[in-house]
Amino acid sequence: MNNKYKILLVEDEKNIQTFVSALLEANGYKVLIANDCASGKIMYSSHIPDLVILDLGLPDRDGSVLLAYIRQNDLTPIIVLSARSDENEKVKMLDAGANDYVTKPFGTAELLARVRACLRNRRQSSSKTGALTGIFTAKDLEIRYESRRVFIRGEEIKLTQTEYNILTYLSENADKVMTYSAIISAVWRETPNEGNIKRLQVNMANMRKKFGTKPGDITFIINELGVGYRLVADN
Amino acid sequence: MDRANRCIKMIKNTVIMIVVLAAVFGISVALQNTFSIEEHITTVFVFAVFIISILTDGYIYGIISTVISVLGINFAFTFPYFAFNFTIPENALSAIVMVIISLITSALTIQIKRWETLKAEGDKEKMRANLLRAVSHDIRTPLTTIYGSSSAILENYGTLTDEQKRNLIDGIKQDSEWLVRIVENLLSVTKLDGGNIKLIKTPTMLDELIDSVFIKFKKRYPSQEVILDLPDGNVFILIDAILMEQVLVNILENAVQHAKGMTELKLKVFVISGKAIFEISDNGCGIEKDKLSRLFTGQIIHDESETDNQKRNAGIGLSVCASIIKAHGSRIYAENLKTGGALFCFELDTEEMDNEQ
Repeated sequence: MNNKYKILLVEDEKNIQTFVSALLEANGYKVLIANDCASGKIMYSSHIPDLVILDLGLPDRDGSVLLAYIRQNDLTPIIVLSARSDENEKVKMLDAGANDYVTKPFGTAELLARVRACLRNRRQSSSKTGALTGIFTAKDLEIRYESRRVFIRGEEIKLTQTEYNILTYLSENADKVMTYSAIISAVWRETPNEGNIKRLQVNMANMRKKFGTKPGDITFIINELGVGYRLVADN
Repeated sequence: MDRANRCIKMIKNTVIMIVVLAAVFGISVALQNTFSIEEHITTVFVFAVFIISILTDGYIYGIISTVISVLGINFAFTFPYFAFNFTIPENALSAIVMVIISLITSALTIQIKRWETLKAEGDKEKMRANLLRAVSHDIRTPLTTIYGSSSAILENYGTLTDEQKRNLIDGIKQDSEWLVRIVENLLSVTKLDGGNIKLIKTPTMLDELIDSVFIKFKKRYPSQEVILDLPDGNVFILIDAILMEQVLVNILENAVQHAKGMTELKLKVFVISGKAIFEISDNGCGIEKDKLSRLFTGQIIHDESETDNQKRNAGIGLSVCASIIKAHGSRIYAENLKTGGALFCFELDTEEMDNEQ
């Protein structure tokens, strides 16, 4: 019986390889290791992993090359590791198709949570068909797609059309950071600019008020400052 | 951007020149007509050239105004009136004197301006040196723990009890976490480095900033309650969000680490005429008077008794705050409250929200 998730780790630092693979194996995943972009490609094509953890600073080429290569054909979840902690880089990688982004140095709990979320997300998206049906739940949140109603702890919350659209878009992409530009092009079909990013933030603020969340609460919508939002479907 | 700046500068300089020359011309006409004084008109114009050379950038405006003055004096104020005549030796002499004065003044003012920029760079260099000193001093302790503990485990793996190993590993983890924080601060500083500040200012919603700060802060200090007082409505501030997050986390963290006896930590933001004012206050022991002035300079590297682990982070965090706030065109203040405890305060520009919902 071999139904362990296969994770491909593309990373050139030996010490990071050691601890990440030890951590993943201890948590029941099978780990494959590639040292650079070129062997990453080969390993990817031959083993078809369930998830890729990709370092950006690789010896032969930038990790984003491998990211683009995988995204040509596949939706395999990719978590990017990077030492660069600026938001632009994050946004660039997320818009290029990365599912998540972890900045070095990272904690083990953080990495494991992201891995779990990405794999869960993969199960959902592979079973997704066309129009949204059924009920989506995440922590206190419940969305009934058919009747377009939203509940928090069983109590109905009245959302505007736009708010509902944003929320469902986030729920369709649960556990994934959606950048401002991704949300704006999906909800308003506009190219993002300062004005509509603000509009999005105001809508989010109004939703937070309706949901009764206060700054610092860890809730189902996580605000990734300067990047976007993530809806956490932690069941 | 650069070209626009140069254009504005040129217009400014030209306006200064024209205004000063016109004023002097007016004064001269008045002197001549009302008091019939003629012999000092040259002196008045020399003074004008001197002023223009000081107020404008470079040599060119001083020289242009010299030429205009020489021609003007020759034409209007010396015999023969309303005609050019440079054959009279006094006229030629005064022209030469004025040219020399304008050249010397311009050269001197350029020197002074250059010296001022050098001094500003020197200050920055000094601040950076302070910071570096503080950091290299401070990272030695956690590195010692990490290096020592890991070696101890590897070399005595068989003889150490599980509990001993666990304690050593715990120490490694704690001190690495501390190093991570130092590096975060250093990264912020390098972003601000080298004169050309790489701030990425975006309109950021106040409560999203605070949310992010609180989540980060609570992760580090789960038991520390922070009382929050935010204005109603949607407030956008124009900031580099990640750097500003660092500022707020640093100040809150500073309170937890240094405000002895604190029972209440408070973050208040309010808006007055387009400015968002941030106030972080505690009711702890306050800040010693002699430290208050050096608080943001990175000079407080643990002096005297401060060998306690918690105390290491002092100077760096706050000086990083000061640099970040300064890069946003504002200033950070600290003072002791009459009721006890310390208050940190700074203000930032807010953005108008366009009503296109």
